[in-house]
Amino acid sequence: MSADTQSTIDLKLPGLSVEKPEVRYDQQGDMSDEERLSQAMRNFAKDFGYVAAVHMDSCVHCGMCAEACHFYVTTGDPKYTPIWKIEPFKQAYKREAGPFAFFYRLLNFKPAVSADQLRQWQELIYDSCTVCGRCSLICPMGIDIAGLVSQARHAMFKAGLVPHELHAVAERAETEGSPLGATPKVFAERVEWQGDENDMEIPVDKEQADVLLTMSSIEIMKYPEAIAASAKVMDHLGLSYTFSTEGYEATNFGLLSGNSDWQRDMSMKLINAAIKCKAKYLVLPECGHAYTALRWSGATIYGKPLPFKVRHISEFLAEQVTNGKLKLKGGLNKSVTFHDPCQVVRRGGAIEGPRTVLKALGVDLHEMKENRGTNWCCGGGGGVVTIHRADPIRYKAFELKMRQVEDTGAEMLVTSCSNCRQTFDDGQAHFNWDKTAQSMLELVAENLQET
Amino acid sequence: MTVLDFARGPGLQWSLVIFLVGVLWRLMGIFFLKHKRDLNEPRHGGIAPWLGGLKVVFTRMWPRKDFRARTAYSETLSYVFHFGLAIVVFFGAFHITFIKSLFGVSWGNLPNSVIYFTAVITLATMVALLVRRLTHPVLRVLSNFDDYFSWAVVAAPLVTGLMATAHLGGPYETLLGVHILSFEVLLVWFPFGKLMHAFLFAPSRAAAGYVFTRKGAST
Amino acid sequence: MAKSETVGEHLRRHGISRRAFLKFCAATASAMALPPGAGRAIAETLAKQQRPNVIWLSFQECTGCTESLTRSYAPTIEKLIFDVISLDYHETLMAASGEAAEAAREAIIKDNPGKYVVMIDGSVPVEGGYATIGGKSMLDICKHTVENAAAVVCVGTCSSFGGIPYANPNPTGAKSISMLMDEGRVPRKPLINVSGCPPIPVVITGVVVHYLSYGVPELDHVGRPKAFFGQTIHDRCYRRPFYDQGKFAKTFDDEGARNGWCLFELGCKGPTTYNACATTKWNDGTSFPIESGHGCLGCSEPNFWDKGSFYAPLATTESGGLYGLGAAAAAGVAVGVGAAVVSRNHQKKLQEGK
Repeated sequence: MSADTQSTIDLKLPGLSVEKPEVRYDQQGDMSDEERLSQAMRNFAKDFGYVAAVHMDSCVHCGMCAEACHFYVTTGDPKYTPIWKIEPFKQAYKREAGPFAFFYRLLNFKPAVSADQLRQWQELIYDSCTVCGRCSLICPMGIDIAGLVSQARHAMFKAGLVPHELHAVAERAETEGSPLGATPKVFAERVEWQGDENDMEIPVDKEQADVLLTMSSIEIMKYPEAIAASAKVMDHLGLSYTFSTEGYEATNFGLLSGNSDWQRDMSMKLINAAIKCKAKYLVLPECGHAYTALRWSGATIYGKPLPFKVRHISEFLAEQVTNGKLKLKGGLNKSVTFHDPCQVVRRGGAIEGPRTVLKALGVDLHEMKENRGTNWCCGGGGGVVTIHRADPIRYKAFELKMRQVEDTGAEMLVTSCSNCRQTFDDGQAHFNWDKTAQSMLELVAENLQET
Repeated sequence: MTVLDFARGPGLQWSLVIFLVGVLWRLMGIFFLKHKRDLNEPRHGGIAPWLGGLKVVFTRMWPRKDFRARTAYSETLSYVFHFGLAIVVFFGAFHITFIKSLFGVSWGNLPNSVIYFTAVITLATMVALLVRRLTHPVLRVLSNFDDYFSWAVVAAPLVTGLMATAHLGGPYETLLGVHILSFEVLLVWFPFGKLMHAFLFAPSRAAAGYVFTRKGAST
Repeated sequence: MAKSETVGEHLRRHGISRRAFLKFCAATASAMALPPGAGRAIAETLAKQQRPNVIWLSFQECTGCTESLTRSYAPTIEKLIFDVISLDYHETLMAASGEAAEAAREAIIKDNPGKYVVMIDGSVPVEGGYATIGGKSMLDICKHTVENAAAVVCVGTCSSFGGIPYANPNPTGAKSISMLMDEGRVPRKPLINVSGCPPIPVVITGVVVHYLSYGVPELDHVGRPKAFFGQTIHDRCYRRPFYDQGKFAKTFDDEGARNGWCLFELGCKGPTTYNACATTKWNDGTSFPIESGHGCLGCSEPNFWDKGSFYAPLATTESGGLYGLGAAAAAGVAVGVGAAVVSRNHQKKLQEGK
């Protein structure tokens, strides 16, 4: 730089440098550090039940969890060690609720958690964890580390320490009914639009239906063909079904951000809508954590067993294939590999459904080397795709995904989660890759036998 | 009272008491925390969740195929260490005699030369694991006093046991006394650090196994 | 007793040839692992010596030490000892008794101040009234006799470390000679502890001969001559290969016992017992306890009576047993459950805002 163009400002200063953006500690509200800490501790305390406790008391610092985590494996940065992500939670547990808590406090065996420490941990608990659960699978002590991260987010939210973008979309979801602006009005409009586009009548707000269909905002706003695809499948099956403008949003940003009150609000909308139309089935869309939220926490929130069955669209389709009702045109002569969405397959247990469906479609299935429970996460789940600060490490994790897909030699990549699709789309753009993830539901809808 | 008299007498008595009290305190203190009932419909067609929990206690003993490449080294070292220690502790004649005096049960021992050899191998793997803990970036972030002290407290009986049998480093009765004392330190520390994994591995794996099996999730 | 004769003159007068005397000195020297020339050196020194006076005091003892010394199978050697030294007072062996015996002892003390050797077996009660001889307490006799002695040799574990009377509950307040010296009850003199219950005959004689030839031998930390007490039974035990291989007899008549395997699991204290039994053996080299099939009791070690059962192996504990552990377990459960209850309440308080 010549003298006359040289800036008088030192661009290398932390706050000013674009090359090395300072790690920011996002905060909500103007609570004092004391207040934040108190909120955190109160909400940690809610989660010190038996399962969390036996897990937090069992860690032997073997470090194996890091070897399962896409963020550590692709960056080599040890701070992404999964069990390290919940260190403040563990610390608080040992000091406040563990069997020797009295001695921990008396002799200060572990220091008290501080607001500063929580700020430092924000990027570990949010940016670098998709709650994919691979770490929970590798841990020799059987610690459900992913579950602990989810729980730790409760405290972080109440302490006002959530990454900006994630907080913003979660708040939008709570107040408007959708993280992406798909308000009930917008939703109804899009359903009508899709109906017109596909020359079909898509029922909304029917008084009674056997199946309540739900959607994720990602599909509503970015992949609206999914609305028509679900409807087409239902028509093919001859089932009585409906959408409901009172309960349609299957994503749960309360769960993702760690606000259990909002998580409850969002789940109750779906539950009430299903009850209202006396549904026998509530079918969740191609979304990962929607399954985690409603299938595996719905009854907990409702306070008693749900009066209807909850199914992910992939397992619902598989059931219909198996019982012969879903008739597909076989002979889709493509080599296909399937990306198992973490929340649906590894965490959720709906593992074989996609295989049943893909087989019925007649594809040449090339399973990835790591498939089903050990599949690598796309890197965008758990709210990470919303956090732009996390883009660099998400792209690093994505390189691993691309290699994994390429290694199968398949020409097409299929998945059953729209957040994964969104992540793949973004990765495809960033890396100029020749592939992205296709929706299994849409593939099914395109290959229905004429009835 | 000589070192050996103390070690064989009140030392052993009190360390066993502290061990028992501590272990049960820690286990009960965890077990009696809030248990949440899962009201969500379980996945059908699989094995019962409690059976799944039990199964996971065993299946987690070795990593899944897809994880092995990245974990084989430390997993192997760890097993050589655990088995070596078990052989020394449970098949060394003197230890069997000790267990018999406490519980009345005994079994055949392995030749002493096999025990010495195994103890040396075990110690070597411990050193290798320590080096790993001191140099691996993940372990450097995670490791704390507990990790290093627990290591020392397990290494000490191995080292002093070898010294006593080799009559190396002092009069035999002192070496034996120090060896028994080192075991007592291990007993006293056991309930408070990560050595508790010897008891906790089962309920911890079983808890995850139960929850995951109920969902049909991957275990 | 002729006091002006040297040992050499005395022996020649009794018809003991120089050759026989040399043989005795050589045997004694080799028993103490002294170099080859020592036998001759001992012989020459001893021959020139005046027969030193020895007063043997017997306190709370069973007379086993005297029995050991005299129950020898090579009378020539041991009888030589009685000719090499002048055993002027020994309650079991001397002809005199009563006041004549007491007078003899007093005469030696008065006529040979600083020159006589006191050999003591049995421990001394310090509580009043438990043992008196001729109206005098054992403690007083001990004090008075040791006051002008040249050296003290404790024969047997009782005088060396307290032995049987000292064992729990020690009703007479028995103490060893070194304890008495440490407490200032008896004047401090050069002291050699020849422990064992009883000691081996040649160990006793070897120590006496060494003292006469070279003075006090090298002692270990509890005052025993290293020549005889420097190694453990275990170090020299002929069954050691079986210990090393891990072949142990489990009961007294099982196959292992009949095959002569190691007796560690039957309570042998060989590894922690310092004595010469495994090399020198007993009854002139016939056998020793382990060779006869019974584990070493550790009889030459301090407090061996109070170290638990003779049949409890060294690798076992003398702790409270299963009842104590059961109580501890119950306590642990109770405290643990209590901790959980406290934790749950504390968590509730935390949730409500401390």
